[in-house]
Amino acid sequence: MGGFVKNDLAAKRGYTYRLTRRQFLVATSAATLAACAPGAVTPSASSSAAPGKAIKIGLLLPFSGVYAELGTSMRRATEFYLKQHDNKLANRPVTPVYADDANVTATGIAATQKFIDQDQVDVMMGVVPTPLAYGIRNAVHAAKLIFIDTNAGGNALTRDTTNCTPSCKSPYIFRASFSSYQISYPIGDYLSAKGTKEFFLAYANYGFGTESAADFTTGLKKNGGTTTGNVAPPLGNADFAPFVTQIKNQPTKNVYSFFSGADAIGFIKSWNSLGLPAAGYKMYGAGFLTEQDVLKEVKELANGAITSLFWAVELDNAENKKFVADFQKQYPLLPDVFTVQQYDGMRALDEALKALGGDTSDKDKFVKALEDVSFKSPRGDFAFDKATHNPIQDIYIREVKTQNGQTVNTISDKIAKVTDPGK
Amino acid sequence: MSLELVFQQALNGLSFGALLFILASGLSLVFGMMDVVNLAHGAFYMLGAYVALSVVQLTGSFWLAMLAAPLALALLGLVLEPLLLRRLRGRHLDQVLVTIGASLVIVDVIGLLWGRDVRSLSAPPGLDGSVTLIGGVYPVYRLFVIAFGVALAVAMSVVYRRTKIGMLIRAGVGDAEMLGALGVNTNRLFASTFATGAALAGLAGVIAAPVFGVQPGMDTDPGLLYSLVVVVVGGLGTLSGAVAGSLLVGPADTFGKVLFQDVALAVIFAIVALVLLLKPTGLLGRIRVAR
Repeated sequence: MGGFVKNDLAAKRGYTYRLTRRQFLVATSAATLAACAPGAVTPSASSSAAPGKAIKIGLLLPFSGVYAELGTSMRRATEFYLKQHDNKLANRPVTPVYADDANVTATGIAATQKFIDQDQVDVMMGVVPTPLAYGIRNAVHAAKLIFIDTNAGGNALTRDTTNCTPSCKSPYIFRASFSSYQISYPIGDYLSAKGTKEFFLAYANYGFGTESAADFTTGLKKNGGTTTGNVAPPLGNADFAPFVTQIKNQPTKNVYSFFSGADAIGFIKSWNSLGLPAAGYKMYGAGFLTEQDVLKEVKELANGAITSLFWAVELDNAENKKFVADFQKQYPLLPDVFTVQQYDGMRALDEALKALGGDTSDKDKFVKALEDVSFKSPRGDFAFDKATHNPIQDIYIREVKTQNGQTVNTISDKIAKVTDPGK
Repeated sequence: MSLELVFQQALNGLSFGALLFILASGLSLVFGMMDVVNLAHGAFYMLGAYVALSVVQLTGSFWLAMLAAPLALALLGLVLEPLLLRRLRGRHLDQVLVTIGASLVIVDVIGLLWGRDVRSLSAPPGLDGSVTLIGGVYPVYRLFVIAFGVALAVAMSVVYRRTKIGMLIRAGVGDAEMLGALGVNTNRLFASTFATGAALAGLAGVIAAPVFGVQPGMDTDPGLLYSLVVVVVGGLGTLSGAVAGSLLVGPADTFGKVLFQDVALAVIFAIVALVLLLKPTGLLGRIRVAR
């Protein structure tokens, strides 16, 4: 019976997928049974997509490998949202299906195919590394599976690109996090408009780092700014002293950088031990440079760094205050930016389902409902850009300060309603 | 590059090389003595760093951590050698497999006990400052690392050449069976050699932590990757090889990364390939006679 219900549901959704032999046998025998004894089919089973039935969410996250902490944080956010909402989105109970990509693209692609073929999830969420998001794009698009990206920030995922290389937007793909343009271009534009026009670049030499540096440079040039050179250590670099030494031996004092996690810690520590603050150098960057995972290790060494992001735990709005307080009642730690991304992804899905009365059988209506979602998020006003499905969001300019023994990102300015250009 | 910059980068390269020597010395020792490629060496290094993290958190003393981490790893080595390696003596592939297995278990246990957060350790008070050298300030800790690396190499060399333990080790490398026939308890010798190798990995974990950080993935990069590179480039299983390897790889990797940053990741492998092409045994390696 289970097989029959699932396949019936999938057919209604317009899914095309491979049928395993077992599924085929279960489905055909169930169908035969149903044909022999129509009375045995209960009304609820025959209208399987009707409100009230459990909605299955496939969450593809790294629970092992270098991004394990991000995956754990996003799983926590999912559980937190569900706990707050009686394990229901709209009127439908939720069955989360977690898969570990271990930060290996091939593993993640296989897990996505399993979501489509075997688990037959209604919605897919998650994905931390951009190469994985690009890697599953075509499979998700072909299966018409609604995918809400809750981290990977590569620009191409929500853009028109030539020959869809390395990726391109899809009606079925939404992004609840950010595009790298959004955390890099606006701060370049902002700083050069304020008169700080000359920058040296330092970024992790991989797709996301180079993209961020390029977007920052474009923003800078809009108001006549320039870059004077760069250093680009490989991602996961062990020793940052050689690169910081290069920075110290060139005259441009303002340095825009893109590093996160262990790289950010290594960079900031070398920056200080080689005496760059005393020599007048000033650190700027995309917000991940100074998120909590980094600040709790480097503390006041990061003071004075100016970064941009769509959120900060200190953000002063009612939703964020409530969000942080509620989260801390459940968990003995502060929420991080990954928590917010996943939480907002859940919220967006919840709002769309409410608008649909829980009925996800019509894929086009589902897409439309998500496009129309707008709500007040901990990060500020949240809505999807209808043209790209990337969020329209405020970007905050933040400065690291140590106050009362706590090193935090203080909000110094806001760039309202930043939209990804979409190409 | 100005002369000042070359000088500063040379210092960076030297201190990086010193760290690599401390990291690779244990691997080299175990390989030379026991003919075992211990692929758990990176995991030992990682465990040393995490033990140090806890000791520093509990006691506030980096120096205590520098004692405790090698000690903890030595104990682990004393347990693991008889448990896993003794019965596999001479079976190289099985040893490789079993040490990979051990490293997976150790890394996962670290994840369970300490979490999978990115962590770091600060240089101890007294070494956390800077001194003014040519071209500006330079961190004292990196100078300490160079001194420590030199001291460790000298100490190991003295033990190796001038003490009875050193004599036993050299004899064991030459012919372990004969050594046993002469009445030396080779089981005990091998276990203590393996424990010493593990302790050196643990020591590297502490000393490298303020520079390389403490995070998931450190067991392979920089841990196992760089120690294998140093040992292979320098010549398998000799102390002088490990010294030569780290003296070449440290500066070459440092200069290579900043001069050819678009291929920075490949620099280290280019060094390996070049050395092996010109001298297949490594810089100071000797041809090993199959036993």
